Amino acid sequence: MNEPLIIAVPSKGRLKEQVEEWLADCGLKLSVSGGARGYMAEIKGLAGAQVRLLSAGDIAEALDSGEVHLGITGEDLLRERGGDLDSRALLLRALGFGRADLVVAVPKSWLDVDSMADLEEVAHDLLARTGRRMRVATKYLVQTRAFFARHGVADYRITESSGATEGAPAAGAAELIVDITTTGATLVANGLKILGDGIILKSQAQLAASLRASWSDGQLAVAEHLLRVIEARGTAHESATLVWPDSESDDALIGELVAAGATRRPNGVLAPADRIAAISTLLTAKGRGPVTASRPDFVFETSCVAHEVLVKRVKN
Amino acid sequence: MRAEPRVPAEVLANLRAPLSRDALSVDAPILQPLGLLLELAGEAMRARLFVVQAEGGREACLRPDFTVPVTRQHLESGAASGRYYYEGKAFRASPDHPDRAEEFVQIGLERFDAIGTSALEADAEIAALAWKAAVAGGREDLLLWLGDLGLFAAFVEGLNLPTSLAARLTRAASRPRLLQAELARAGAQAKVVEGGALADLLAGRSSDEAAVMLEEVWALAGIEPVGGRGPAEIAQRLIRRTEAARAPTLSLEQAASLRRFLSISDTPVKALAAIRAIPGAKGEALTAALADWEQRLVLLTKAGVPAGAMLMATTLGHAFEYYDGLTFEVRSTALGADRPVAVGGRYDGLPARLEGPAGGRAVGCMVRPWRAFKGGEA
Repeated sequence: MNEPLIIAVPSKGRLKEQVEEWLADCGLKLSVSGGARGYMAEIKGLAGAQVRLLSAGDIAEALDSGEVHLGITGEDLLRERGGDLDSRALLLRALGFGRADLVVAVPKSWLDVDSMADLEEVAHDLLARTGRRMRVATKYLVQTRAFFARHGVADYRITESSGATEGAPAAGAAELIVDITTTGATLVANGLKILGDGIILKSQAQLAASLRASWSDGQLAVAEHLLRVIEARGTAHESATLVWPDSESDDALIGELVAAGATRRPNGVLAPADRIAAISTLLTAKGRGPVTASRPDFVFETSCVAHEVLVKRVKN
Repeated sequence: MRAEPRVPAEVLANLRAPLSRDALSVDAPILQPLGLLLELAGEAMRARLFVVQAEGGREACLRPDFTVPVTRQHLESGAASGRYYYEGKAFRASPDHPDRAEEFVQIGLERFDAIGTSALEADAEIAALAWKAAVAGGREDLLLWLGDLGLFAAFVEGLNLPTSLAARLTRAASRPRLLQAELARAGAQAKVVEGGALADLLAGRSSDEAAVMLEEVWALAGIEPVGGRGPAEIAQRLIRRTEAARAPTLSLEQAASLRRFLSISDTPVKALAAIRAIPGAKGEALTAALADWEQRLVLLTKAGVPAGAMLMATTLGHAFEYYDGLTFEVRSTALGADRPVAVGGRYDGLPARLEGPAGGRAVGCMVRPWRAFKGGEA
C-alpha cells in the first residue's frame, strides 16, 4: 500500500496566494482540481502527495490530530491549540510571510498604562474598587492566559471574541484586547495602543509536520523530496556563485573566504548573497578577475537537516 | 475523563465521621456558572475546568469544588452562622499529569460564623477536623502544614514601607513571580519617570480639575477615549504611578528580611521564633498575628493534633484565590506536596464577594478520601 503524503495548504485569502507564490517559486506548482473552489489539489513535480485545502485554523487542528502529515499555517494558530506544541508538531521552516504579531493592546487614553506591570496594577485596582475583573477580549485564550500568568496579571476575565476584536473596548464589551496585528493600523484606528512589553508572539507562516500522524517510509521519502527542494530553493535565494579565472590555484585565498562563511565550488566559491560586493572587491583588489557573480536557482546540499530531524522525531 | 476508584465504605464512614458531626448535610449542583467561578478564582483556573454548554445556553462548568456553591447556599438561607458538610464528586482537568484523576470524591466542611466571632477557635477546630478525617484513612505518613496569608501582610506592615510599595508586596504575596521581581529590584535607584511632568501638573489639582486637564491632553493628542476608565481615574493613577516610581524601592536590608521570612519552613514553635528573630520584624499587627498563632497552636494541640505532626511554612498558599487568612494542607510523604490529602483555610472575604454581608467569618476544609486511604492513591 502506498498511502499518499497529505499536505494541508490554506484555502483562501492572502495566505493562500502567498503559499502558492512560494511553492511556484520552488518549482512546485499547485494545481487545484474541481475549479477555483475545489478543496483538493496536487503539486506538480511531487508524486505521492495529496494536497488538502483547508482554512488556516483547520490546518492547525488537522496537524494536531494527525489527519495530515504536513501543513502550512500561522504559528499563532498552532500555539493556540494549547499544551506543549513541541510534542504534537514540528516546525520545519519559517516561511517569511504571513507575518503578524499577537499583542496586548489597551486604549490610547490610558496614559498611565505602558507596560504589563501597569496593567497588573490597574486590574487589581479595578477588582478591589468595584469587585469586577478587567475584561480582555480575545480569541487567543491559551496564549493570553499563559502570557498574563508570566507577567503576574491575575485579576482579569477573558471575553471570547470571534471577530472584530479591536472594536470591543469602544463597544464597551471589554477594557482591552489581545489580538493579531500586522501593521498596527487597525488598532490605532480603534483608539488602541500596544503595550511596550505586550508582544506575545511574533508569528509567521510555518511549514509544520504533525507528530501525531502515522508516517510510512514512503511518506517520509515524499516529505524528504519536498523538503530538499524547499531547502535548496531557500539556500539559493540567500547565495551567489562567484567565479574567476584560475581560481583552482588560489587555495590560500579560498581558504580565507571559506573561513568567512563561503563554501568552495568549482572555479570559485558559493557565498552569502549579501557578501557578493564585499568578496568581489576583496578579490579584485588582490588582482583576481574578472569576477562573475551569478545567482543559482537551487543549491542541493548532501544532507537535509529538516528531514533528518523529522525522521528522528517520527521514529522514536 | 479519568475517574478514581472507590474507597471502601467503612473507610469512607470513618473519614466522614469527624466532618459530618453536628453539620447540616448539603449538596451542590454539578453544573456551576462558569462566569461566576472565573470572576472569583481568576482566569488561570479556566485551564482546570471542564466547560459545558447546551445549545444556545449559558456556559457552565463541572463543579471544581464545593466551597463557592455551599457559600452561596449559606448566604441564601439568610442565617448568620452555619455548619455544612458535603460529599461528592468534583472535577478538575489535569492535562499535564495524565496519571491523575480528573473526577474525584471530596468530603468537606464549611463553617460560617457571625460578624465579630473570634476566628482562632474556628481555625483550630476545622484544621483539627481535617487532620482527623485524613488520618482516618489509615496512612501513617501524614503531616499538617500550616500557613497564614495574613502573617505576610502583617510582616510587610511592620517594615514601614511607602504605601504603594507595601500594597504591591501584599498583592504579590500569592504570586511568586511578582514577589521575586520586587525583591530583585531592591536597592535600585528611583527611576526617572516618563510622563512625570504631566503627573506633576495633575498632582496639585482637585479630582475634577485633573480630569478636565487630562481630557484636554487627549483632545490635543487626537486621542478618542474608549473603554470604561474615566479621566479622573486615569489622572489619579498617573499621579500615583509617578509617586510610586520615585519612591525608594526596598532597601537591601528590607529585602533580606523578606527573603528570610519567606524561607521559613519548620515546626510551628521554631517557625514563630524564627520570624521574631528577623531584623525588622516589628509592629502591632505582627505582634498580634504571632500571639494569635501561639494560641492557635495551643488550641490545635488541645483538639488532638499531635505537636510532632505539625509544620509551618510562611509561603503555604493555594492556587485558588479564595483564602485570605489561615491556610493548611495535610500532606502525605508518599504523595508529595503537589498532591495534598486535605486542604483548607479561612476565606472571610468570599461571602462579601458573593454579595453577602461583609465582616462575616468563613473557614473550611476538604479531604480527598482516595488520597487519604492507605490502600488508595500511590
